[in-house]
Amino acid sequence: MAVATTITASGTDEGRNVTRLSASALMGPATAIVALGLLIPILILFRYSLNQYSARGLMIDAVTAENYVKFFVDPYYRTVLYTTVRVAFICTVACLVLGFPLAYVLARTRSRFKNLMIMLIVLPMFVNNAVRAAGWMTLFGSKGMINTGLMSFGIITQPIEMMYTETAVIIGLVAINLPVMVLTLQSVIEGIDHSLEEAALSLGAGPWIMFRRVLWPMALPGILAGTILTFILAVNAYATPVLLGGPKFMMMAPLVYEQFQLNNWPFGAAVAFVLMATTLILTAITNFWMQRRYRR
Amino acid sequence: MEKTFLSFNPSRRQVLQGVAAAGIAAGLPFAARADSKGRIVVGTSGGDYQHLVDQFIVDGVLKPAGWDVVDAVANDLDRRNKMIAEARLPRGTTDVQGLSALAWFQMGQAGVLAEIDYSRLKNAANLLPSMKYPYGVGSGYTAAVGLYNPKLIEAPKSYKEILDPKHGDKLGLIDIQYQYVMTAASLAMGGTVHDVEPGKALLLELRKAGVRIYPTNEAFAQGLKTEECSLGIMWKARAVQWKDAGINVAGAVPSEGALKFVLGWSVPKNAPNADGAYAFLDAMLEKPAQEGFATKLGYPPTVTNAEIAPELNERMGFSKEQLAALVDLDYAYLSENDIALRDWWNKSFKG
Repeated sequence: MAVATTITASGTDEGRNVTRLSASALMGPATAIVALGLLIPILILFRYSLNQYSARGLMIDAVTAENYVKFFVDPYYRTVLYTTVRVAFICTVACLVLGFPLAYVLARTRSRFKNLMIMLIVLPMFVNNAVRAAGWMTLFGSKGMINTGLMSFGIITQPIEMMYTETAVIIGLVAINLPVMVLTLQSVIEGIDHSLEEAALSLGAGPWIMFRRVLWPMALPGILAGTILTFILAVNAYATPVLLGGPKFMMMAPLVYEQFQLNNWPFGAAVAFVLMATTLILTAITNFWMQRRYRR
Repeated sequence: MEKTFLSFNPSRRQVLQGVAAAGIAAGLPFAARADSKGRIVVGTSGGDYQHLVDQFIVDGVLKPAGWDVVDAVANDLDRRNKMIAEARLPRGTTDVQGLSALAWFQMGQAGVLAEIDYSRLKNAANLLPSMKYPYGVGSGYTAAVGLYNPKLIEAPKSYKEILDPKHGDKLGLIDIQYQYVMTAASLAMGGTVHDVEPGKALLLELRKAGVRIYPTNEAFAQGLKTEECSLGIMWKARAVQWKDAGINVAGAVPSEGALKFVLGWSVPKNAPNADGAYAFLDAMLEKPAQEGFATKLGYPPTVTNAEIAPELNERMGFSKEQLAALVDLDYAYLSENDIALRDWWNKSFKG
């Protein structure tokens, strides 16, 4: 018996080792592709960010932090970073506020049109960002649908300047990111037992208390995933800020593009790294803070 | 048993035959014809311009002469960055690149482009001397003129009249044309193309007066169409195209001399097929190709032997005197100061 037990145990260990080996073999190619396709270009870009720009040679090999210093010393670039984070934050909050009720309804509905409703939410994602921005342009223009409508009803006499404003960018980004938030939240809310909400309500909790004490904490993984995804998409947005924000409005991704357009690869690479670091740090802080705040 | 895709069980011979066929198919696009002179890889931005290149240069001259031509289509920035990235390699991936004169200067100075050897071009004798640049051959040109809506405003006679603060928010300028706008402002203030400083005060006055800044040429066209703005600075060739598209615009050549915008072709230093590149440059300078581009794009030809009908000449809108008075940019100055100019434009003018 003892021998048999030993053999079984030994066999189990071997089996685990074989399973681990198979798992490693399966993960290997994908990991190698990610490592080669993502990490190596990032490392090259980081190396470029330490080089110097010269109008004659374009990029001179060096090891200097001057591109990063230039970014943080110049108020213009700091303002661009601040604007980017502010717009992404507003966009994320707006998506959460607008998306949660929608996701809740979708998760709880028993309607036979549920799949159709989900398709309607996903539908805007079938259209390219630039095309969607072009659609907004026809609405926001001085002779666009909104201004023409308001003027024909006599509500305004002069067109409202909507194009090339921060508000236009926020509206455009919310429209793009809302489906991401809704779909993420919906899948998590569907996993929450509805009887828990009913129990809270039947025990005397009002809808707000039930939401705050039961639904919100239980939906937190989805909220966290949705906000992080939305924030990352908004902070790195390119087409919407360029097309709806216009020349006077600048966010980080268009700034990176502009530097490469000027052939200033070292500074462009440094701006790209500041953007990447900002995204990672803010995401990590949010993750850490929310998990700590709502840990039970 | 019915044979389905999933139940298909090929023999070893079938697998080997399949692999061989796939290998041949994959290699076909790269294989030059046995009677071919070789392959020329041409970098362009695509679109209508690409079609004209195919029509007048590739199909019109190069293919009948036995060359295989492959298009490498990407926007200007992507192509420039790719060339810079490839510059350290012994062999690049393109033979000729369609760029503007300012890009030639910047890329040539950085050692990315080869200096043009005009003795290798049989059509160089016909090329206008002003279109012979060290790192590129001019294939067409236009100029930055005053573009205005004749229903709303009288024809401006000069850059000074265009860049007048009295126009307020009816004046539209284009963000991506900052080098031209800053140089035009300098000329308006009596300065030169060699220093844009004199124009900065005027631009700040325009900013106070509410000048509109459009991100692209197309956005400016939209502004003119909706009468949001009534004048600005734009390429004369665009005036012709927009008028054809139904926008009520006219172009006025400024008395200071209109700033020239030159498009053309350059050869990367590490072009794999330099002979092919020169064959392309020569084909581009052929009389029918030049006449075709002038007709379709509204760009005056860059060779002396091209014949332009009087009505086409009128459509292009430059008299002989105006053509002679066109002003070329100081590419060395702009290249050296480009980052500083853009900084000023972003922070002081737009900011």
